[in-house]
Amino acid sequence: MKNSSVVFAALRKNWFRSKTGVFFSFLFPVMLLLIFGTVFGSGRSQTYTLHVQNLDLVGGEPTELSNTLIKIMNSTGSFEIKNLAADVDITDYIAEHPSFTNYRVLVIPENFQQKAVNKSIYVRTGVILDTLSFVIENYGYTMTENQIGSIENGKNMLEAWRKNISAENAEILLLTDEGDTAAPIVRGIIYSVINTFNNKMIGAEAVVDVSENQLTQRSYKAVDYYLPGYIAAFIMTNGIIGVTSNTSEFRRNGVIKRLTATPLQKSSWIMGNLVHQVLLAFMLMLVMIALGWVIFGVQVIPSPYALALIFMGALVFCSIGMVLGGVLKDVEAATAAGNAIAFPMMFLSGAFWPVEMMPGFMQGVAKCMPLYYFHDGLRQTMIYQNPAQALVPFVILGVLAVVFVYLAIKVTKWKEL
Amino acid sequence: MKKVIEVEKLTKRYGNVTAVNGISFDVFHGEIFSLVGPNGAGKTTTVEILECLRKPTSGTAKVFGFDVVREERKIKRRIGVMPQEFNTFDRLTVRENVELVAKIYGVKAGLKQTLESLGLWGLRDKKYEALSGGMKRRVGIAMALVSKPELLFLDEPTTGLDPQARRELWETIKSLKKMGVTIFLTTHYMEEVEALSDRASIIVKGRLLSTGTVDELVSKYGGEMKIVVKGDKRAREILKKFTKNVSVDESGSFVGTFQSREVVARALLPLYRSSKKYKINVVEPSMEDVFLRVAGGKIDERGELIS
Repeated sequence: MKNSSVVFAALRKNWFRSKTGVFFSFLFPVMLLLIFGTVFGSGRSQTYTLHVQNLDLVGGEPTELSNTLIKIMNSTGSFEIKNLAADVDITDYIAEHPSFTNYRVLVIPENFQQKAVNKSIYVRTGVILDTLSFVIENYGYTMTENQIGSIENGKNMLEAWRKNISAENAEILLLTDEGDTAAPIVRGIIYSVINTFNNKMIGAEAVVDVSENQLTQRSYKAVDYYLPGYIAAFIMTNGIIGVTSNTSEFRRNGVIKRLTATPLQKSSWIMGNLVHQVLLAFMLMLVMIALGWVIFGVQVIPSPYALALIFMGALVFCSIGMVLGGVLKDVEAATAAGNAIAFPMMFLSGAFWPVEMMPGFMQGVAKCMPLYYFHDGLRQTMIYQNPAQALVPFVILGVLAVVFVYLAIKVTKWKEL
Repeated sequence: MKKVIEVEKLTKRYGNVTAVNGISFDVFHGEIFSLVGPNGAGKTTTVEILECLRKPTSGTAKVFGFDVVREERKIKRRIGVMPQEFNTFDRLTVRENVELVAKIYGVKAGLKQTLESLGLWGLRDKKYEALSGGMKRRVGIAMALVSKPELLFLDEPTTGLDPQARRELWETIKSLKKMGVTIFLTTHYMEEVEALSDRASIIVKGRLLSTGTVDELVSKYGGEMKIVVKGDKRAREILKKFTKNVSVDESGSFVGTFQSREVVARALLPLYRSSKKYKINVVEPSMEDVFLRVAGGKIDERGELIS
């Protein structure tokens, strides 16, 4: 075992001078964190471009009501509103601008204000008539004949006047592109705005209110979820892809044979590899945490529990790599096997998105993967500062580490190569 | 003389294949011993058993009197090994690679001297992957030598090298012998055996066919001397006067075969005296002839046996 430091030093130097090794172990995870973190995890809500064409003009000026509708749309904060001039033909505009994809165009038609006001009066008077009928029917016994006669009289006059009011709905038109994945979200927001607008127009008051409150003390951003997921996922790929192909390659090209011909012992070789991967794991952790802090403002100070978990995770995945590289003779086969195990595990284990987002049986699959316990445990210990929740991950990773280090010792050949 | 290696009825089987079949030989202190044979003859298997990298199926092998199976660690400390198709960490420098081995053996001194003696001191900070084939082999020898071994195993050290690099490596190997290192060499190049070995064993299909000093082997199995003359009928008549056995080779030269050096000397005189100025070559028997006689074939450049 005393020579494991010699092996470690050689592996470390050889690895750090490899451009592909460094790329896949550090730069690739960093790139992914930057991309995913910026796309999903910036914390600020998404805005969608919405083109609005207002045809409801009086004397060339937009009507007050149509303007109000646009203002309400704007105040949701969900839209970046762009105005299309009234004289633009939208069909021609789309045909002339092939780059105008994923468009959402809201058209406010002519006479929108007129119709909306009419309809609102129609509805309001309807409500009054209904109410008067209701009152007479249910509380008529408390009134005198005279009172009832007056009310009936008023009702008839109002009803006669109301016949002259148009009951036509004001309609707005939403045009969306067939391939626009955000269209349902945009539609949902517009429906909700119109709903509110309708209520205001008929003078209805809110009956139910929703207020939002977070259960936890600190609010978490998406990056808080990704960060431990990425650290875990790339410690996993460094082991299962990197160590597998390196072990297999060292065996094929004769480096291992050269070492076996010295007094170096097999245990030193395995130990050197494990130490090297543990070092890489800690370095990866530091790089990711620094990045999370500088770019996304996530402040993480890993607890001793988190460090212990990273240590065990590195042991598990490095020894899995040494087992695969030791069993599979062919370098290509070993690399392919490493990829075939690592990539599904990376995506199915919920390292990149919460497992709750996946269908039920997939959640079951995720929980069969060591990576699931690794990133889950890391999240509990690193982000939520809740080591008690990481007990199961600790036990599972500990058992796996013992099993796979034992198997690595068993399958690593030091004779008859 | 002191025996460094003793091999007794050594056999190694891989499943149904017998790679080494009951071979016995000794290697003495201070000599260069060659195991000669074509690819697949069992050379590497034999060497790797002696290096404690493989276990024999039956028979015994001792190095410095220690058994290769039971006393592996005592042997490994005292030998230096350059495996066949030697390779090491690509992105470590020459010095780092050699230092790696030195550290494993716990050797502190002698790194500079080892690199200097192999002409590698100037390349010490170059990465292994950037070296030429010949230089890479030298790094292999440096890694085998840095622990100051008493016995050095070189498994096909010059295979795949160009003639220039091969000859340079021969000089290195000769100088190692002068330093008192016993050298066990495997090769399929006959000229390498002649240039380097004190003694050699011929191995074909897992069996040892003959062992002895190169001179012994040549005089025992090498056969006749030849005079090759590029010339006219007259030259042929002169040859005919001294031997019955005259043939024509593929280039059209006359080849006379002789049993004794005496007759060769007498036949050369009239040939040289002739006014025709013949182009004359005297060909002494070589290991190639020995191998042809003993194994019934030749070995080509790639190490394959041609019957």
